[in-house]
Amino acid sequence: MTALRRIGTSLAAPALAVVVAVVITTLVILLIGQNPLTALQVLVDFGETPAQQTQAIVVILNRAVPLFLAGLAVSVAFRMGLFNIGVEGQYRMATVIAAGVGAAVVLPAPLHVLLIMVVAMAVGALWAGIVAVLKVTRGVSEVISSIMLNFIALGTASYLLTGPLRGSPEGAAIITTKEIPESGRFPAINGLFDVLGLAQPRGQLFGFLVVAVLVGIAVSVLLKRTRFGFDLRATGLSPSAATASGIDARRMVIKTMLISGAVAGLIGLPDLLGRTHSFGTEFTAGLGFLGIAVALLGRNSPIGIAFAALLFAFLDRAAVPLQFADIPASVVTIIQGTIVLSVVVANEIARQLTRRRAEHSTGQAAPPVQEPAGPAGTRIDARQEAGA
Amino acid sequence: MAATAAPGGGTPPVGAPGDGVPYAVELRGITKRFPGVVANRDIELRVRRGEVHAIVGENGAGKSTLMKTLYGMHRPDEGTILLDGRETTLRSPADAIAAGIGMVHQHFMLADNFTVLENIVLGSEPTKGGRLDRAEARRRIREISDRYALGLDPDELVENLGVGDRQRVEIAKVLYRGARTLILDEPTAVLVPQEVDELFGNLAELKREGLTVIFISHKLDEVRKVADSITVIRRGTTVGTADPRTTTSRQLAEMMVGSELPSPHTRTSTVREAAVLQLSGVSVASTDGGRPAVDDVALTVREGEVVGIAGVEGNGQAELVEAIMGLRSLAAGSVDFAGQDISTWSTRARREGGIGFIPEDRHRQGMLLEAPLWENRILGHQTRPPAVKGPFIDRKGARSDTERIMREYDVRAPGPDTLAHALSGGNQQKLIIGREMSSAPKLLIAAHPTRGVDVGAQSVIWELLKDARAEGMGILLISADLDELIGLSDTLHVMLRGRLVATLDPAALTPEELGGHMTGATDSAVGAA
Repeated sequence: MTALRRIGTSLAAPALAVVVAVVITTLVILLIGQNPLTALQVLVDFGETPAQQTQAIVVILNRAVPLFLAGLAVSVAFRMGLFNIGVEGQYRMATVIAAGVGAAVVLPAPLHVLLIMVVAMAVGALWAGIVAVLKVTRGVSEVISSIMLNFIALGTASYLLTGPLRGSPEGAAIITTKEIPESGRFPAINGLFDVLGLAQPRGQLFGFLVVAVLVGIAVSVLLKRTRFGFDLRATGLSPSAATASGIDARRMVIKTMLISGAVAGLIGLPDLLGRTHSFGTEFTAGLGFLGIAVALLGRNSPIGIAFAALLFAFLDRAAVPLQFADIPASVVTIIQGTIVLSVVVANEIARQLTRRRAEHSTGQAAPPVQEPAGPAGTRIDARQEAGA
Repeated sequence: MAATAAPGGGTPPVGAPGDGVPYAVELRGITKRFPGVVANRDIELRVRRGEVHAIVGENGAGKSTLMKTLYGMHRPDEGTILLDGRETTLRSPADAIAAGIGMVHQHFMLADNFTVLENIVLGSEPTKGGRLDRAEARRRIREISDRYALGLDPDELVENLGVGDRQRVEIAKVLYRGARTLILDEPTAVLVPQEVDELFGNLAELKREGLTVIFISHKLDEVRKVADSITVIRRGTTVGTADPRTTTSRQLAEMMVGSELPSPHTRTSTVREAAVLQLSGVSVASTDGGRPAVDDVALTVREGEVVGIAGVEGNGQAELVEAIMGLRSLAAGSVDFAGQDISTWSTRARREGGIGFIPEDRHRQGMLLEAPLWENRILGHQTRPPAVKGPFIDRKGARSDTERIMREYDVRAPGPDTLAHALSGGNQQKLIIGREMSSAPKLLIAAHPTRGVDVGAQSVIWELLKDARAEGMGILLISADLDELIGLSDTLHVMLRGRLVATLDPAALTPEELGGHMTGATDSAVGAA
């Protein structure tokens, strides 16, 4: 089995999923009496002038950065067989507190940004840590506890926003925290367009893109190259074999959730540090849940997640232009939803194909694998051992 | 010796057996290729109606591929399948079932929370007015059960059944679908000796009723006991047939591996003074809160000594092993390793300290099936070179060391990047043993080291254990293979209901005597340890 073929197999599943999603969406658009081709045109139409086109790219990239971080946060836990559904709550808590801290202190620029990042990561990790502690001490399924903690996080974030961290004047339509001063903002990297000889867009490209890339590389190295990453993946593949090999499953649950939560804490920062400079009622929501979809589509590999985030961002960009073309923006959501559904199915098919090929390559029958491991799709029971 | 008839003659070369009745199953020149490998080549198989026909061969010799061909799970590239003299094409298991072929898998496929009846009819339910016709199903199952003396109660829940009964449910499932030819894949692998005898009784009933049984195994003594004729497969092709009445196990085994065989026996003692493992008063609570799974066990393993633990499975051996490895906490007592009390050490610390571990269930505890071999080389050795450098995985080191293990331990696989589940059981086990040996442990906990492993690999594993023992490694051997226990052990303990009930001298012990101790029949005669 050459590397090329392996890559081929891993690309086949998401590609197939996208095709299936496009077919389904076409049917939906036809059903509501619109022209699917118009929708397609809108999707790929980035505008006429070079500035409009680079602006579209900026919109996509700015949207992709938080999606990528969210997918990464989810995937770290997925790799160990943990479902961190709580990314949503983790990033909301992290962002509101980081916004509060960022507005309250004055520091030299790099330190100020760094402090906000550290606070966000710490809060995210702490919030995820609750899930881990409940799991290893009380055997509470992380799925249940992280969903419940999402509600608590949303409520707490609202309380903090309207109460102690409120910065907007009494009676304002949009409640926000105090603005983070200039020193705590992440500079845009629009210089990139000059370097590449492209037209300057209207908007600003988040400098946080650089951080996201670095975090992606760090997570990739951590998972693939380090002992810790090996332990994590081994636990995900077979909790019983991992325990027998000397991995302390409880400790792994805690460490993994802390890392996942820390990455989740960064999700809100591209927007906070690059655009809004304060947390408010209008702050981007739902990134945590989209992260689950992105991680699934990207098959839990950082590179895959990067492409998945770009694809989702590309689709999201079309939400507004679609409405101009009289097509409901929910078409985008339908595409995203069907992609995720079909990717789960396609992943499973691809996994079986890989297995079968592996068996054929040695000509030996493998016994049925009891626990269907694999890309974080289906195993809930097998993982209970890990934390019990 | 590919084309020659085997010791003791065999079947006539072409056509039907002397009496003119066509063969129940005849395979002619079956070849099955997979990319890069020929799994089966020129397979010739002739099975008479109403006989028990054994197919023996090492794991990886191509038995499973052949059976999949016969059960319609894939189609051969060359050759023909004749059923009752008629050429047949089997496109799917459904075709095979329609043609009267049934398969009893090694791993049972039963729903625990269903009754025997529900399990048997599942997938071909008799219905009346759209509802499951239980009365009809019960009647037919009773009929099958009585006719073949299976002794099944249709209304019992499967979860309450023992392994032997579950197997009979599987057999009944196949008979219910009208099978006239039954394929049994390694049916005795999961059974204790008494259950094996029961199974053979059932097979005799099937035979008496004119059914044909194809029995796949590598346990040669059993094959000789139950089979009417034997076909031997080696490296993907049939090397001959044998008559069980005139062929010895040794001759058969030599046909299988194509060379002379070693035996498990080690007689010169290499036992030294220093103890590597000392258990005193070790007790482990059972998970269901009943009597302790391990009850006040004391034993010592010295350098260069093999201490065997015999016992019917489920008498606390698994729990004892897990307690020694730190996977289960002690209720009482202490575990001393090389003079240190390690009772509170983590599993990793114990492994780093020099305890090697061959788990009884390699799929559950020994391997990451969906990971490549080189990652499996790292498993359990995450903190030690050559697999790691500081906090990082040393991919190159792990790969090359995996290659070394594959070479030295004869692990047959395309390369270190092959996924573990693509290997046969014997090759997986050899990899595990190579891995555990590579860190030169002082103590090896070997739980069923040759379970599900073919004769060739078994003898290799025995040799490895003997060499390790000679070099001063202490080995705690847990096994259900009585010959293995008697042959390898310097000291032999018998475990029954969580206690060590007897200490025996393997030099003066027959498997029959040992079997008696294991069931508690001769407890008092010898006295507790």
